Amino acid sequence: MIDLVHSSADDTELVRNAQAGDLGAFEELVARHRDKIFGRALSMMRNEQEALDLSQEAWVKAWQRLNQFQGDSSFTTWLTRIVINLCLDQLRKQKRRQTESIEAMEEESGGVERQMPVVAANPTERLERGELRRRIDRALDQLSHEHRTVLILHEFEEMEYKTIATTVGCSIGTVMSRLFYARRKLAALLADLKTDH
Amino acid sequence: MKTEQTLKLQAFLDGELSETEARDIAAWLARDADAKALHNELRHTRKALKDSEPRVTLPESREFYWSKIRRDIERSAPAPAKPAPASPLLWLRRLLLQTGPMTVLGVALLAGLIHFCWVDAKLGLATESTGAEAGTFTYHDDANGTTLVWVNFPAETEIAMNTTPW
Repeated sequence: MIDLVHSSADDTELVRNAQAGDLGAFEELVARHRDKIFGRALSMMRNEQEALDLSQEAWVKAWQRLNQFQGDSSFTTWLTRIVINLCLDQLRKQKRRQTESIEAMEEESGGVERQMPVVAANPTERLERGELRRRIDRALDQLSHEHRTVLILHEFEEMEYKTIATTVGCSIGTVMSRLFYARRKLAALLADLKTDH
Repeated sequence: MKTEQTLKLQAFLDGELSETEARDIAAWLARDADAKALHNELRHTRKALKDSEPRVTLPESREFYWSKIRRDIERSAPAPAKPAPASPLLWLRRLLLQTGPMTVLGVALLAGLIHFCWVDAKLGLATESTGAEAGTFTYHDDANGTTLVWVNFPAETEIAMNTTPW
């Protein structure tokens, strides 16, 4: 059932009410931003069930830490940082359990991206928006999580190199090198997808 | 092209270079066709991503998605951790932690004193007290309703003062 009192309030008011213990106000915030939070988790994890679980965990954490939200950024930015951190923790746990592939090790050491031929034409030119989104999604799927994460944080979350380095826990040099590789690989993948069609 | 150069080219695109460095890269781009081609590729990819983040919709209904969150919230913390007004017990605990064993001793002595006075009054026992002036002593018996006051004469302090030392 739609709660008219809460649905007419803006985010700031809902956050204030939720901070005072109003669970209805918090439910409205969840309803408003659930797609974005789930979407960010899915873009990082590439697994629907994991993204669902982590996005829900992010909301629970947000409720528990609501008094820490001072309004320095928007509520969605704050919440997105929570889900990103949860995803990074989960990816680190998974990485510890897996043996790194040779390809990933090569990517980390650098050099592969420099051997790729430059894609001269814009591979996304004249593509319909929906089609472009689908292609980007498929290309993102083929990147390692380290490269995808840096790309997402830079392009979608608009973080600077320094902030990405702090969030991910690596040096600025590593951020630059991962971002460079990810962009070059993505350009090649998008060009391939264009040729396929 | 060296790795450092390519990364600087990218940093130039992202606006992460200082003014001097940016000027150097711009000059390099103007004279190097390979650098220009790589810059264009990076720019196209960046633009494609900026404008086209894949959009997703939650595969679950609002109620179903919320029900799990609500359940976890209620299980872990019933309300946000907004600083609540301190209860008397919390206040006492904080005081004890800050002032340490001295407070514990003081509180115990005070409690003991109150207890003995209360028991005495309840049982109607006599109480004794020394007077404000030196040399007086008061005895009060509630049960019989009598009060006795001893006055030493001469006062002990006067004796002490008048005694000549050997």
